[in-house]
Amino acid sequence: MNKLEFLTKLRNCLEKGGMNSDDINDALTYYEEVFLDAGFGKEEETAASMGSPEEVAVNILRESGIEISGPEAFDPQPAPAFAAGPMPGPMPQYQYPYQGAPVQQKSGNWGLKIFLAVITFPIWLPILIAVVSVLFALIVTAFSIVFAFVVAGIALIIGGIAAVFEVPSIGLMLLGAGLILTGLVLLLCKPVLNKAIPAMGRGIKSVCNWIGGLFKKGGKVNE
Amino acid sequence: MGFTINAGLLDAMVLSIVQRNDTYGYEITQYLRKAVDISESTLYPVLRRLQKGDMLETYDKEYMGRNRRYYRLTVQGKTSLEEYREEWRNHKKKIDSILMDEGAEENEQA
Repeated sequence: MNKLEFLTKLRNCLEKGGMNSDDINDALTYYEEVFLDAGFGKEEETAASMGSPEEVAVNILRESGIEISGPEAFDPQPAPAFAAGPMPGPMPQYQYPYQGAPVQQKSGNWGLKIFLAVITFPIWLPILIAVVSVLFALIVTAFSIVFAFVVAGIALIIGGIAAVFEVPSIGLMLLGAGLILTGLVLLLCKPVLNKAIPAMGRGIKSVCNWIGGLFKKGGKVNE
Repeated sequence: MGFTINAGLLDAMVLSIVQRNDTYGYEITQYLRKAVDISESTLYPVLRRLQKGDMLETYDKEYMGRNRRYYRLTVQGKTSLEEYREEWRNHKKKIDSILMDEGAEENEQA
């Protein structure tokens, strides 16, 4: 047994004996000094000459008026103390922060998420803006095309009506073309628009929800 | 050998060693070992007891970059040591009278 082992065991035994910390420190100062005075190479020898730390502890405790049945009184305690942890001393203190750790870990992940989000800000923000812009542009384009066809159809109808009185054949042809065009646009575009526009709207909405979800998710976990 | 040293005698011897000059735990043990088989761990409770009884006081002195605890005799310790010495003289006389066949015979003869 070296110096450190001896002194550690001695301290444990004195603490178990209920000695106050001043007296324990006084005893340990003495025993540490004995080791130092005996010389560096003689730790094992010195420890052996003093007997077991348990015996030493019993003598010290007896001297300070604490009656211990014998060195074996310390023996049954160490094993269960570490296995089941009924020791009222440092163990619960050690467990307490450990129990709190998983929660801290989650909020740590949450903090990390925010940190990463902020760090990667220059990357994801332009991408996000680009995606939203493209979707928005598609909606605008679709509207524009439909609008263009409708305007063209209406223009042809108006032009046709006007031309009927001057050149009836051309006027009727224009009127017919305008009506066909408007009808086609309305026929083709109505179901498409009915589905496409809300679909694109949903697309933008879902992108926004996804981003919002990232934050919401983290918030819920934290609760 | 088979003679046991009791606590009182050990106290007295420690006081006597410290009276010669202030000294530290390890050296006290070495001194005592000239007469009795004692370990450092036997000495500590003795020193503690004497300290608590105001017979010894301690002070720290630097030695090779660390503090060494020195023990010094108090006035009370000195008085106590004289009492112990007187007691020992009487005790020794009584023991010798029987063991060494001294005095006792003289008493009988007288």
